[in-house]
Amino acid sequence: MQINPSVLIIILLGIGIPMAFVQSIPVNIVVCMIALIYLAYRRASIKTITLVGLITLPLALGTGWSFIAFGTGDVWHQAWLQVTRLFAYVLLGMTLTLTTHVKDILFSCVLHLHLSPTFAYGLLAAFNLLPRIQRQVKIIRYSANLRGLTYHLWQPQLYFKAILSALQWSNDLAQGMSSHGFSEGFPRTMTYTDTLPKWQWLLAVVLIITYSYFGFF
Amino acid sequence: MQTVQQSKAHWSLRDVIFLAIIAIFFGIIYQLWSYMYYVLAATPLKPFANDATIGVWLMAGPMAGVVLKKIGATFLGEILASVVEMLLFSSWGVSTLLAGAIQGLGSELGFTFTGYKNWGKTGLALSVVTSTIVTFAWDLFSNGYLHYNFMMLVGLFSVRLISIGFFAGVLVDWIKRLLDRTGLLK
Repeated sequence: MQINPSVLIIILLGIGIPMAFVQSIPVNIVVCMIALIYLAYRRASIKTITLVGLITLPLALGTGWSFIAFGTGDVWHQAWLQVTRLFAYVLLGMTLTLTTHVKDILFSCVLHLHLSPTFAYGLLAAFNLLPRIQRQVKIIRYSANLRGLTYHLWQPQLYFKAILSALQWSNDLAQGMSSHGFSEGFPRTMTYTDTLPKWQWLLAVVLIITYSYFGFF
Repeated sequence: MQTVQQSKAHWSLRDVIFLAIIAIFFGIIYQLWSYMYYVLAATPLKPFANDATIGVWLMAGPMAGVVLKKIGATFLGEILASVVEMLLFSSWGVSTLLAGAIQGLGSELGFTFTGYKNWGKTGLALSVVTSTIVTFAWDLFSNGYLHYNFMMLVGLFSVRLISIGFFAGVLVDWIKRLLDRTGLLK
């Protein structure tokens, strides 16, 4: 049993937006724990969770420390609040990204959240190019090095060449997809199906209301 | 060669793919920054690390705007960049998505104020101002900036304005000029 990606997105936004204003440390910790329980239940990779946690640790340290150094009022409360909020956001994000494939997220949004298929397929096409895009950045930098040049990140050349590649590839991909029968704005036969029982929407509403209640009152 | 659609509202498959690829490029290029960012971010200077590099995150939106010249291109460009980031390079989780929406809104507002007529320096400059204000207002709450002392806030705001001004303003304009010279965007 898994929560449908569309419902999960609504839950993440419904909790994530008010979380920017909530001032309660225990509520943040409860969110972290529920997210961790869901991750454990879905058997998400413990290694990845630990790794992301370790990467976040110095950021959390910096965040907390900055309030103690430059804060006003109850600095320790703010420090812990921001640290727990940081982890709550990261863990909430992982409940979606570590349990669901990009393709399932996009198609679920088409089925249940009215995302246009043009966007879903367009994004999917671009995601599949990821390794090539990574290689292209290396190629652009190395070929500059061969000519004795270094493209710094504050100069336009690297971005300019990246955008030229993006322009060319998006043309090629869009033409390729059209020639494989993808027509924009026309109804599509969806062979993709997923399950979304009504109680999951109810779960989303209950979670968001409960969160707001304990977060603000 | 197929060119950019004239319509100001219609999103073609090509536009979507183009924006998504730009977003991935920017995501990868940002990783080149991350080492410097992490060194600063583990100290109390973290908010300054945030505000000094925020301009890079904000490039995708205005870049999409000035290239595609469409209503909503800036907003959508930024949202797409944040979706890509969250799904591919997520070390921030949901806050990436929320920040992306806020940043997109901020940058888009500048072009809205020109009535979507100016995609040049004026539009970019306005976009820099609106995105600095909107993202700073969001961070007052979401990153608890309200609880820093006043001088710290003045410093952070200035650093943020300079960062966004350079990366999402000047640098985007330079890139745009190089692109114009190729004639591929006409």
